[in-house]
Amino acid sequence: MTVFEPLREQLTDAARAFGGDAVAGILTGIVDDVDRALAEEPEIFPVCHHSPASALAMARRLREKRPSVVYLELCEDLAPLLAELRNCRLPVALQAFASRVEGFPAAWAPLSVVAPITEASAEYQAIAYALDTPGVEIVPVDRSTDHVFQWAPRDGDAAAPASEPASGSGSGEGGEPKEALHGDAVGIEIGGLRPGFAELEEHLLRHGKVRHWSEWWDQYVEQPLAGADYATYRQVMVLIGSLFRRLRPPDAERRDRDEDRERYMWTRMREHLAATGADPADCLYVCGAFHAASRVEQFGLAADAEPFEITPRTATSWRYGLIPSSHSAIEAQFGLAPGSVSIAAATWEKAVKRSGVKPFRLSGQAGKAPRGRKTPQVKGGAVQDGPPADRLTGFLSGPPALDGLDEAELLGWCVDIVRLARRNGYLAGTADAIAVFETSVLLAGMRGRACPTPYDFQDAAVTCIEKDRVPGRRDVARLCEILLGGDRIGAVGYDALPPLARDVHDRLQPLGLDLQKRTVQRALLDLHAEPDLLPCSELLWILRRLLPDGAVRPIMGSRELGDRPIQESWDLAIGRHQRALVELGYEGVSVEQVLEQRLRRAAWGPDATVVTALEAVEDAVLYLGGGRFAGELGARAVELLAAERTVDEAPEVVRRIRRLLAHYRAAEPALPRWCQAFVVEGYAHYCTLLPTAFADEAGGVRQVAAMLGFLFGMESLALSLGCDHAQLELAVRQSHPEAPAKVALLWAAKAQLGLMTRDELRARCDELLANPLVVPSFPLYMSGFVQALDPAPALAPLVVEAMSKAFGRLPDAVLLPWLPNLVATLREHARELVPTLVREAARTFPASLPALDAWTPPWESRAAPAASAAPAASGPVADLLAAHPMACDAVAALLGHPVEWDEPAGGDGGGEARGLLERHPAAAEAVAELLARAGAASR
Amino acid sequence: MTDDMLRAPAEVKYAEELDYLESIDDGPKPFSWRLSPRMVRLFVLGSERADGLDREIPQKWFGDRSFVERSIVTLASDRGLLLIGDPGTGKSWLAELLAAAICRNSTLVVQGTAGTTEDHIKYSWNVSMVIAKGQSRESMIPSPIMTAMEAGMIGRFEELTRSTSDVQDALISILSEKYVSIPELDEDNTVFAKPGFSIIATANSRDRGVNDLSSALKRRFNFVRIPVVTNKRSEAEIVRFRTAELLRRHAIELEVPPSLLDVLLQSFADLRAAAASATSDDERLESALSTAEQIGVLEDAILHSQFFGDRTLSSQTLGSSLVGSLARRSPEDLAILNKFWHGVVEPRSRDDDGDGPWRGFLDGGRQAISTLS
Repeated sequence: MTVFEPLREQLTDAARAFGGDAVAGILTGIVDDVDRALAEEPEIFPVCHHSPASALAMARRLREKRPSVVYLELCEDLAPLLAELRNCRLPVALQAFASRVEGFPAAWAPLSVVAPITEASAEYQAIAYALDTPGVEIVPVDRSTDHVFQWAPRDGDAAAPASEPASGSGSGEGGEPKEALHGDAVGIEIGGLRPGFAELEEHLLRHGKVRHWSEWWDQYVEQPLAGADYATYRQVMVLIGSLFRRLRPPDAERRDRDEDRERYMWTRMREHLAATGADPADCLYVCGAFHAASRVEQFGLAADAEPFEITPRTATSWRYGLIPSSHSAIEAQFGLAPGSVSIAAATWEKAVKRSGVKPFRLSGQAGKAPRGRKTPQVKGGAVQDGPPADRLTGFLSGPPALDGLDEAELLGWCVDIVRLARRNGYLAGTADAIAVFETSVLLAGMRGRACPTPYDFQDAAVTCIEKDRVPGRRDVARLCEILLGGDRIGAVGYDALPPLARDVHDRLQPLGLDLQKRTVQRALLDLHAEPDLLPCSELLWILRRLLPDGAVRPIMGSRELGDRPIQESWDLAIGRHQRALVELGYEGVSVEQVLEQRLRRAAWGPDATVVTALEAVEDAVLYLGGGRFAGELGARAVELLAAERTVDEAPEVVRRIRRLLAHYRAAEPALPRWCQAFVVEGYAHYCTLLPTAFADEAGGVRQVAAMLGFLFGMESLALSLGCDHAQLELAVRQSHPEAPAKVALLWAAKAQLGLMTRDELRARCDELLANPLVVPSFPLYMSGFVQALDPAPALAPLVVEAMSKAFGRLPDAVLLPWLPNLVATLREHARELVPTLVREAARTFPASLPALDAWTPPWESRAAPAASAAPAASGPVADLLAAHPMACDAVAALLGHPVEWDEPAGGDGGGEARGLLERHPAAAEAVAELLARAGAASR
Repeated sequence: MTDDMLRAPAEVKYAEELDYLESIDDGPKPFSWRLSPRMVRLFVLGSERADGLDREIPQKWFGDRSFVERSIVTLASDRGLLLIGDPGTGKSWLAELLAAAICRNSTLVVQGTAGTTEDHIKYSWNVSMVIAKGQSRESMIPSPIMTAMEAGMIGRFEELTRSTSDVQDALISILSEKYVSIPELDEDNTVFAKPGFSIIATANSRDRGVNDLSSALKRRFNFVRIPVVTNKRSEAEIVRFRTAELLRRHAIELEVPPSLLDVLLQSFADLRAAAASATSDDERLESALSTAEQIGVLEDAILHSQFFGDRTLSSQTLGSSLVGSLARRSPEDLAILNKFWHGVVEPRSRDDDGDGPWRGFLDGGRQAISTLS
């Protein structure tokens, strides 16, 4: 017979009266669980996450019991990180991270697990006690982070476990945190406690007359337990843990693997006890209340069940570190009500002050420590030796003894919230402070509380101050959260940072900025005056390449091939992006190494293309100074080019290799070997693919133009390296395109190669324009010519001519629909095409408006003499030469040219026209008569 | 008594319940309230088993508990209560219930319109009596608000933002000084508000900007914003509750099949989602798609089936009622509904195996759209 026998009987009677056997089973089972857990050794300390009551009870218990070993429900592989908490400002999160996975679906990568630690938590008390007390050991006993993922359901491999409850009762719902401080990590918490299904939670909320789970917990468990003695605390916590455990949907166990975790933890504890020979009476097992009510066969040291078989970890290599966390990030990750963690923190500080308990705190930790009163009044903290007394009956039968606000505190809040509201644009005044106070009291009264809670205060403030619109950025509810402690954001101290992050901080030291701050800071680098800052600038550019947007942002200055930096200015928010920097630290020891790895991975990745490889080369030159590594990447680009079977990326390839060649020609004495190989390989490659690309209907004109651009533009280099021009000529001859644009491109290529003269090309254009059947497709030909500007810039006059003719002669129905296309094409490739075109047009067309009247297009002035085979020279020069032919004769004789003088045009100039007029004078005479008559009339 | 009225006010309709609650109420009552705040809440939100009452009190207003609590507490304080929200969210109904529970009179109502004058808020004169006997308290006609002041009751002001600024400003002195002077009279010329007087005003958030409240008036009101109900379960509850009432009022014996209720709720949820993602007002239905709107659709369908149909509610009728009620602007609303019918209802009816309700809903709606366009 235990002390709980009367309670058990009472509950059985109640169940019989109201529910039946099932209810009786649950109710008596709960009492059994409490009985069992309390009797166990090592002493089980049930906790709940972010619960000041748990933290307070823990601080008290640790001071009384002084255990020598503390077992903690925390992933065992996170143990080495605990000592680093000393260097951080809480809240921070312990993180395990794996960028490359082995043994898990590849789609899950990168894997990340975070376990946030706040100051107002029992686990922090245990950690601080253990680390600062000599001879005390803290042993995390929960499954490793690797097992978190091993046990995650793999129904659909594509779904990453971040969105699934992978960590038992303490799993987060994986929602994106407000500030995304945790990224998309899987959250684990120590002592997660929540009803197992939605209906139960809804029922509790409805009957508790509260809005959300955090408020329920605060009102019905947290506050009544704040001043309770240890026995009551323990019994109540196990009771609630047991209740939620017994009221669960049947498949929850399979999904959560909670029992496996309990087997794991008990097995680890037994192993530790056996290995160290510690006395179980000197140990304390800190676990969630849910696990304290466990019914697994390994529960307890006396159980003779076989140890749980722990599967080996996968080959995934895990990295560990600390990342900053925040109250809002924790709330978002674990689905808590906004502000609840902040309120818990405020409650903790208040409870510490009031109870006089001296909390444990890691020595050397930054931040303000809550202090107890000097005269401690330890309530009910007497050491419980011997059989426990029944504290449950009293707890269950009485109404919750609430720890409300005292009047002075409430008044202070009312005044403060009005002040804060005014600052945020609300028209609030003293009258509102009075109204908030009155409304808080009335609300508390209506909700059956003696004193208002922070939640009542928040409701009252919203009622009285919030009007029809929010004037500023924050509404009243948010202001209340700020008032009640606000969102506290942790920071990882310098010493707890990974080597890479420390290195970054060291190297940015010369800037003279405090980069741990969470504000955006402006760095001005005058590299001309202070060349010492050049390494900082280089580092910042690398960080910009590696960190997410906004961490480092250049305001002035750029980094491109051939640029020499003079002045730069940067917006730095490294403190705000500490997580990103820490996660970078998992990849290597310096940013250069990380960048090198990433470039290597990009170039050798399964989906690497020539462009990615060339991009990597460019990055290597820009950020890592080129050298051997750039050569390796370049060699890889050559390999990829040789293996490539399509020409889709040709334009980009050509653009990049041109840029790199220009850089190497300017900066190096000789072209690197890989560049030469690339040009040779490219020449052969594109020659081979040219006929196919011309014939391929799916391939674009742009691609073919880019190929031709490569072939023509780098021909001289390629030929000097041993390539054969005949290859190109053959390729062009073998090409038989059908699409008009490509046909035009082929003509341009032929003209460039000398396989077709310009006159032929011009004649073909004229033919096209003259043929009414082809006119509608003339714009397509034009598009091809425009693209040809890049590979064959010498054809620019011809293109301008063809375009002018098109504008002049094409009917509107054809011309107008094509114009937008032309403009779009030119805009898209403005960098390559427009300068050539504009320069040529400027040369061709007159520069001023008056000159336009007298202007004839050069092609027409060329065409007119072509029609009359022998142009007749005239004018003073011709007359002079005709009068004194000796000098010309002498020069001609000297050059060996036969001397032939044309008949002078002066006397019977006009030739054919004159003859025609003499034969048919009637028309001319009629015109003359008409003119004479018109002149007479005008007089 | 309720039989003689088309629509009985809440205090008449629930008189029995209110009497019962008053008889068992032992909580502290502010001013001259007939019920304590907790009982008022219980009357509005209904009782639970845990409340330990002898009889069940049904829930009458569906929404977040904290809205009701905040409203009651405001009325117990010095300030007036302004319920603000989209049309059809139950603001007026809540105001009526609160007034009925607190002072057993919810009929002291001023309706705010563009034509509301200061006389409607303060007092006016019986002209013939003034001619006969001169100006006196006898010949004065007090407004509902003044009556509420004299009796220490709750006065209601519907659609506060529809009335012009000068009329609104007349409320300022009433809410802060709590008296009205009658300068026309030489003696007995001030009407003081008795304890228990307060005002519940309602305002439509869609009318914002028509006659904005002055900050002086805003300061004298506590705002409680009532959101559109989006929780499907409570919405179903509301629709069922109000429809049952309507059926009772019209004495119609007609069953509303739960599957049809689902269709209605689902289509409103879909329409709301579409409205939320629309980028301009032309792509949004003019209707606010509130719960009241749903009740309207259902009522329309029920009445149609009762008087022109075979006395059973069919999904066809529901579809045509929905189109008929929501299509207000000729090209825009019809286009939106047509798109909705093609894009949402049609796939749903395809998924419906056998003759589920969506099939008929699709046909009814289509017919209505083609008739209207």
